[in-house]
Amino acid sequence: MTSSTESGERKIVTFSLSKRTFGIDMSALIEIREWEQPTPLPRVPSYIKGVANLRGNVIPIVGLAERLGWEPSVPHARSCILVASIGGKQAGFLVDEVADIVPINDSDIQSAPEIEIEETNVIAGLVQVAARVQENQTGEEEGTMVLLLDLEALSIMRHMDAAA
Amino acid sequence: MSDEFDEIQAIFFEECVEGLAAAEAGLSAMADGDTSPETIASVFRAVHSIKGGSGAFGHAALLAFSHRFENVLDEIRAGRIPATAGVVKEMLSAFDILSDHVTAAQEQSTPPVDGAMLAKLDEILATSGASATSPAEPIAPASSVSEVDVDEFGFTPVAAEIEEFDPFGFEPVAVALDDLDAPPDEEHADWRVRFGPSRAAVANGGEPLLVIREIERLGGHVVSVDSTALPGLRELDPEDSYFVWNISVPGSVDRAELNECFDFVAPDSLIEISRGDQSAPAAEEPLPTEAQVALPEEPAEPTQPAELPVRAAMPPDLTLVDNKSEATPVPKAAKSEKAEASQTIRVDLSKLDQLLNLVGELVIRGSILADRLSPPEQERVELPQLTRLNRQIQDSVMSLRAQPIKQAFSRVPRMLRELSAETGKQVALEVEGETTEVDKSVIEKIGDPLTHMIRNAVDHGIEMPEERIACGKAAEGRLLLSAEQKGARILVRVRDDGRGIDRERVRAKAIEKGIIAPDAVLSDEEIDQLICAPGFSTATTISNISGRGVGMDVVRSNVEALGGRVEIQSDPGQGTTFTMILPLTLAILEGMVVRLANQRFVLPLASVVESIRPEPGQVQAVSPTREVIELRGNYLPVKRLTEFFALDAEPSAPEDSLVIVVESETAGWVGLMVDTIDDRREVVIKSLEQNLHPIRGLGGATILGDGSIALILDLEALVAPSSSTSKHNLKGLAA
Repeated sequence: MTSSTESGERKIVTFSLSKRTFGIDMSALIEIREWEQPTPLPRVPSYIKGVANLRGNVIPIVGLAERLGWEPSVPHARSCILVASIGGKQAGFLVDEVADIVPINDSDIQSAPEIEIEETNVIAGLVQVAARVQENQTGEEEGTMVLLLDLEALSIMRHMDAAA
Repeated sequence: MSDEFDEIQAIFFEECVEGLAAAEAGLSAMADGDTSPETIASVFRAVHSIKGGSGAFGHAALLAFSHRFENVLDEIRAGRIPATAGVVKEMLSAFDILSDHVTAAQEQSTPPVDGAMLAKLDEILATSGASATSPAEPIAPASSVSEVDVDEFGFTPVAAEIEEFDPFGFEPVAVALDDLDAPPDEEHADWRVRFGPSRAAVANGGEPLLVIREIERLGGHVVSVDSTALPGLRELDPEDSYFVWNISVPGSVDRAELNECFDFVAPDSLIEISRGDQSAPAAEEPLPTEAQVALPEEPAEPTQPAELPVRAAMPPDLTLVDNKSEATPVPKAAKSEKAEASQTIRVDLSKLDQLLNLVGELVIRGSILADRLSPPEQERVELPQLTRLNRQIQDSVMSLRAQPIKQAFSRVPRMLRELSAETGKQVALEVEGETTEVDKSVIEKIGDPLTHMIRNAVDHGIEMPEERIACGKAAEGRLLLSAEQKGARILVRVRDDGRGIDRERVRAKAIEKGIIAPDAVLSDEEIDQLICAPGFSTATTISNISGRGVGMDVVRSNVEALGGRVEIQSDPGQGTTFTMILPLTLAILEGMVVRLANQRFVLPLASVVESIRPEPGQVQAVSPTREVIELRGNYLPVKRLTEFFALDAEPSAPEDSLVIVVESETAGWVGLMVDTIDDRREVVIKSLEQNLHPIRGLGGATILGDGSIALILDLEALVAPSSSTSKHNLKGLAA
């Protein structure tokens, strides 16, 4: 899912979720849509909010916060669905707010320490970015920690097996 | 091997499949008496291209066989071997082995045993077809024999020539035969070109192949290669040039155009251009008419067999005979057919599906727009026109996926030949409606059921020839394979004129197998249906054909899995008709839209028997978790779907709900309790697996007219008796 250029530079999309900033690789992103209540599915784990119609494709909508083990995010006016491609499949992720698109260097990524979620491997790494959104709120220039998500590791299907 | 190679090879195999289909169609037409030059040429072309590709991709066994096969076809095409019924029959057998070779090459498995067939082909070649078993009477009317001779450009020597090319790697030259589609100008004799590049020309990179290709573009082809100048290996100078190509170019080609081909050839090369007579260099006038008249009407037929081995040395006057016969009109159909064939492009199916998705979305967006705008506003923005256009686009895209059902029928002739050989029964096949267009998904899925139906018809329906004659029927049985479209359904029929279903025996067998009770009262139709019951087989001996553990029950379950059904109609002594009634596309389902806890679900309409608003007391609990509904004296199990799916809803009284009675494969009639019925409509099935995973009880999802998603219910999973295994099943599905 990485699209590193020769210099090791790539772009990530950052978004907020449960007051943390996350990032996913820009190359995996298909589109950002407004939150719209999906059609609920019976007999699925609660983090699968249902299915939605993406231009004729039926895609699952995942409550990312719940998937990561946090409090479910409550959809609000600025809630978005990030539609991403994961290993040939498409899925939408409910996030609180999309922040920015920022270039990062592979060399700036630090490996993730043990974090308080069940599967640490879903965090591909940590990276510092100068956060414009954050800047407005705090007035400080310092960078924000972004948790880079490994969408492949989030694999909805594999988790389903465990849940079943 | 590189991906690119594999990719090109995949294209080759696709072309092989097309070539085999064309060859089979041509051979079948020949078997039916159509021995016109175009038909024979179409078979030749098909086999020839398979040969060409097999050489290029190194499939030696395929190359060897197709080469021998092609030799015989070439002789037939040239009229030197008459297309008698016996010869055509052998050609069909050779074709079967050719298909096996293609399959073997594709699967990289062991090539089929073809020694016997090769020997037969050689024998045909050696005896000019006299060895082929059946009566030597030509199928074609006598007049067409000379037409066969007319062989558009006097190709005759080519087949022998190919042998000569191969060792030197000049394979592409032989491929030139494919391009023989330009009809000769009736008024001019063909150009005869002799081309022998000089040593200097070759040394300067004057690749003779390029020149030959250039000439081929004009419609010319290589008649022979004069290799007499080729010295023995010891004296051979690899840098020298020894060959002289004899090339025939249609007389209609302008001399100046022909000259242009040689513009870049070194001046000291041998270039002779003449009309008609090879021995007269630079003679541009057409031949004197007397010369033509003087030539024998049926060219050298008696001498043919002896001539075969020495064809390369064929004297010029003999070539002239062929050349002359070109003056007779040659049907031009072959050319236009070829032009049509090239008007197609290959598209990845997934791209079509993507297009279909997008168009579906376009239509939905259009209807959302229509909902939001008042009629005058709609007119103002010309929405109706847009909507119409959208529908047309949608129809066009759907039609892109449609293919003639011919593709599914193409395996049948061969299967029948094999069945005839195995059983000793004689069967003539008739095909109707093979141009009926069906969605590709259907074509892919009906092959197996069709195979079983035909095997069944030959094995159980059609009698042995003696038995048929004793019954006053023709010795040869008839099998009619037909397809027709009726509304949104496609009807595929297999009808035989055999003995019909032996109801006494079927009944006895069903009782013996415990399928029905000994005292059961059954109508004739019901007895006929028994042959589709699981575990039923009446064949007294387990034949190779129908006893492979695949009975009519498999046909039925396969067809039902496609959303269709099988009908059987039988007249004792007169024959049996099996009809598969299938949806036009597997991507579309006729469904009933129902509501559960205010969410919409789609139930396949095909399984709906009726819907009932229960009277108070009609639904009763038989255990804390099980309920039944009383329907005309029968008690049917009832499932509350809101509970099955654990939807948030107040349990409603049965009187406030609807019970939809459905017929299921595994559990018979079952009542499904839903809140209301919304609608009945055709829906496009979208899989959940594509982006998620299967969910028990759901067969997929669909997008309704307003763009929202409704889930499609999977009936069999819903009615499956045990709920305790659900967890296990879910795991199995998700894995």
